[in-house]
Amino acid sequence: MKIHSDHPALKKQKKVKASSIVLFAFLGLYTLIQVYPLIWLFLFSFKNNNEIYSGNAMGIPKVWRFSNYFTVLTSGNVAVYLLNSVIVTGATIIISTILLTTSAYAIVRMHWRWNHLFLTYILLGMMVPLHATLLPLFIVLKNMNLLNSYFSIILPYVAFALPMGIFILVGFLQNIPKELEESACLDGCGIYRIFYYISLPLVRPAIATVAIFTFLSSWNELMFANTFISADKIKTLTVGIMSLSGQQGTQWGPIGAGLVIATVPTLIIYLMFSNQIQKSVIAGAIKG
Amino acid sequence: MEKMLRDKKAIFLFTFPTFLLFTIIVVLPIFFSIHYSTLDWDGFSKGVFVGFTNYKNLFVNNTDGFLQSVANSLVLALISVGIQLPISLLLALILARGIKGERFFRTVYFIPVIISTVVIGQLWMKIYNSDYGMLNGVLRAVGLDSLTNAWLADSKTALACVFAAMLWQYVGYHMLLLYAGAKSISPDIYEAARIDGASELKIAFHITIPLMKSILCVCIIFAVTGSFKAFDLIYVMTGGGPLHSTEVPTTLMYTTIFSRYQYGYGSAMAIFIIAECLVFTLVIKRLFSNDQDEA
Amino acid sequence: MKAKHLFAGILSLSVLLTTVTACAGSPNASSAQSTENSSQAGTASQSAPAEKITLTFWNNYTNDTQHTMENTIKQWNSDHPNIQIEASSTENNAYKTKIKTAIAADSAPDIIYTWAGGFTEPFVKAGKILPLDDYLNDGTKDKLLSGALTNITFDGKVYGLTYNQQAGALYVNNDLFEQNGVKVPTTFDELLTAVKTFKSKGITPMTVGEKDEWPGMWYYDMIALREGGAQLCLDALNKKESYDQTAFAEAAQKLQDLVDAGAFPKDVLGVTRDESVAMFTQGKIPMYFGGNFDAQVIDDSLKGKVSAVKFPTIAGAKGTDTEYLGGGADALCVSANSKHKDEAVQAIKYLASEFSSGMYLTGGGLPEWKYDSLDQSKIDPLSKEIMENIVKGSTGSVPAWDLYLTGDDAQTHLDLVQSLFGKQISPQDFAKQMQQKVNKS
Repeated sequence: MKIHSDHPALKKQKKVKASSIVLFAFLGLYTLIQVYPLIWLFLFSFKNNNEIYSGNAMGIPKVWRFSNYFTVLTSGNVAVYLLNSVIVTGATIIISTILLTTSAYAIVRMHWRWNHLFLTYILLGMMVPLHATLLPLFIVLKNMNLLNSYFSIILPYVAFALPMGIFILVGFLQNIPKELEESACLDGCGIYRIFYYISLPLVRPAIATVAIFTFLSSWNELMFANTFISADKIKTLTVGIMSLSGQQGTQWGPIGAGLVIATVPTLIIYLMFSNQIQKSVIAGAIKG
Repeated sequence: MEKMLRDKKAIFLFTFPTFLLFTIIVVLPIFFSIHYSTLDWDGFSKGVFVGFTNYKNLFVNNTDGFLQSVANSLVLALISVGIQLPISLLLALILARGIKGERFFRTVYFIPVIISTVVIGQLWMKIYNSDYGMLNGVLRAVGLDSLTNAWLADSKTALACVFAAMLWQYVGYHMLLLYAGAKSISPDIYEAARIDGASELKIAFHITIPLMKSILCVCIIFAVTGSFKAFDLIYVMTGGGPLHSTEVPTTLMYTTIFSRYQYGYGSAMAIFIIAECLVFTLVIKRLFSNDQDEA
Repeated sequence: MKAKHLFAGILSLSVLLTTVTACAGSPNASSAQSTENSSQAGTASQSAPAEKITLTFWNNYTNDTQHTMENTIKQWNSDHPNIQIEASSTENNAYKTKIKTAIAADSAPDIIYTWAGGFTEPFVKAGKILPLDDYLNDGTKDKLLSGALTNITFDGKVYGLTYNQQAGALYVNNDLFEQNGVKVPTTFDELLTAVKTFKSKGITPMTVGEKDEWPGMWYYDMIALREGGAQLCLDALNKKESYDQTAFAEAAQKLQDLVDAGAFPKDVLGVTRDESVAMFTQGKIPMYFGGNFDAQVIDDSLKGKVSAVKFPTIAGAKGTDTEYLGGGADALCVSANSKHKDEAVQAIKYLASEFSSGMYLTGGGLPEWKYDSLDQSKIDPLSKEIMENIVKGSTGSVPAWDLYLTGDDAQTHLDLVQSLFGKQISPQDFAKQMQQKVNKS
């Protein structure tokens, strides 16, 4: 406090403060915009159509209709659907992570003639409009005798997650210096060991990012799940929730309630994985 | 090291499972679609081989507005790269600096990506509603009554409104990718720059962004191919209407195949979308690899 | 290190194996589902086979129709231990995509829910649906209302059994009419007057969910029916008459007259069907032209305040007030690939007749099977009004055109009507383009 006011250190501190106020005001405002849908969905889940389609579409419900949640929880087998969604997305994430990390590593690090071509080949998967693949894929799955089983959706989810995941990982691996791997090699590590113990931890942020995207796309997927699965006991949660919409007009309140229930796991998963993005870097820094 | 990286067995183990699964689930159906695209076929009866007629119909004397829909998707790609990505990058760089509440902001900014598109669509339809919508409400509140509009019902404004919603929804998506990219840069590099007295802006432009080049390339390609394939939110919000003003190639393809029963013609649209994405991807990759020392 | 090596090896091998064995599997996946045999032979009932069989049945019975259907199927399954129905419900829009894909891939279920008319026609033409004529002479036809099979008959053969029909009705909110001293319109001129009166009092007179296209088309098809009469409409739909004639252009003109008179909110192209119904059930608007399928929701919110009346007639036009827009809609078919055709037909006869009564009793639909034996006191009042005043004693009916026409033609018609609402096209051009694009072949 007794330091002279034009002391350089203090000046700098003041400047930082002013700019950080602006920064946080900006971040705060943006927070409002981004968090609003969640609040809106929550409020929406307690309304009925008359309120949803009226001046009170945005505001707090006049009556809190907990019955919407009751409708969801008692219609169909929500617990079974939830379990199925967990099985399907879990398997999708595990299988796709194994496949895409190994492939991306082979593409970036290993020396073979076709690596560029292989990457381009895989990227094709990002370009396919999914609706056009519905019938061909149906025929393929039918011939593999997989229709109406968990695999009928797990395999497509994995296959369509690969291009994006491999592409992201390739991008990250290219940015990571080879020195660590080279020194590990000198220490006598084999290729598999280097891949697993040296390279993978370095791209953990990328793997976590990819896992989040894969999770979201398979958790929310509707078209394949609706078409390839008919048995009630293997239906997924989103399919179950959308079944609440009727043939003659849709009561949106219960659907909102269902979507709130379906969104909670996504938030948890996101928090888990996105912390990995932040943590791993610190871990990596210590090692480096 | 060199010898190890040429280990054929390892390469095979690393790539073959991916190759096999991908070929069966993704590539095989593309070949089916190529075959369908040469047929005059309703999806059920026997198709008649018509060669390239379906492709010709996309471009010559086209009456279903396919070219307009392609133009719409090009505009979307352009604003996605030009507006959405810079916002995502800005947010990612701010968060990656390790500010207070990093974790909170990172979570919150991603929320629109987490929430089902059905909900996002409903929300925006409410915002744009001419009667009780938020947008008109704000306009009335500030005395701009003359600007109020039936946003999604007006074929002049619907496209822009849908695009705005789409840009907003995926800001968080790109932000997370770029954030992970920025986070994987070793902190030592920043430290060194700070000690040299470089300003934040300088660090961003001269150190961070150049080091994130490959992930930026990934993001741009995602934004472009994502725009060419965009479907869900448009389908929920307008279904391509009113009066086809918000039609993009995929919505048109969907109607063509599943409502108009023109499977062959719709498949030609699908193949066109794939080709379009492929060309743009290769061009973007080439642009980026040109000024990169290693491929 | 070895462990990792081994792990990767096992992984790739297992992926390879599952794929190879899967590929080698027999190509008839559908048979795997339907021949789910079981050794426990239950007591044989009727003509049921000794071995237990399973009939797959795909439908769109979610939410509103679920319970009636589920109970009927349960009843069947307990009556027929050897012929079990395994039902699978999919949300309406997704169902359309799903059933088309499955039929195209020759993997249709034994029993198919479908919409009579243009939706089913391509399946029939491709030989995917079993013709039922040989099965219906056991008295089944006598149990159906006359005309029940019209929309599911193609080239003189019957391909399914309908159990629910649609009928257009003008819903009027009596409270709003009384409060504002307006007479419920019986002619189109009165309708325009009513529109103008409500408008002058600051009340939006009607609404329509034109974002979804088909609700607006119901308005046009209804006006065309009043303008040209049922026979002319059917002839045009069957490509025997031209659309490019006064009646159809005049109907388009009348629709635009309504638009010009301010009958609809100005953002009508962006309003969904659900939203438009909600506007009516909130009691905000006095008139709503919809189908009997809206009755249940309207009754829930405005019980006793609403009447369902005939759409107004047009002075000097051919159509009379005894013709209605609608007809057989929901139907059950049997796949031509079914391994158990006889049992499947037996099942749909039961299901269709039960669904018909069940839906009528719960206000979900209008019957296609004779319903005299039903206890009518419990029937939903609005549905009953529509059945008794509009459907019963009618002299003709025309299905909603998007139901009658096939794929491309239906979509073209929907798009053209939307252009009418958006004032993008003149009534004359509308008639011309209908003729050029829909009746070209």
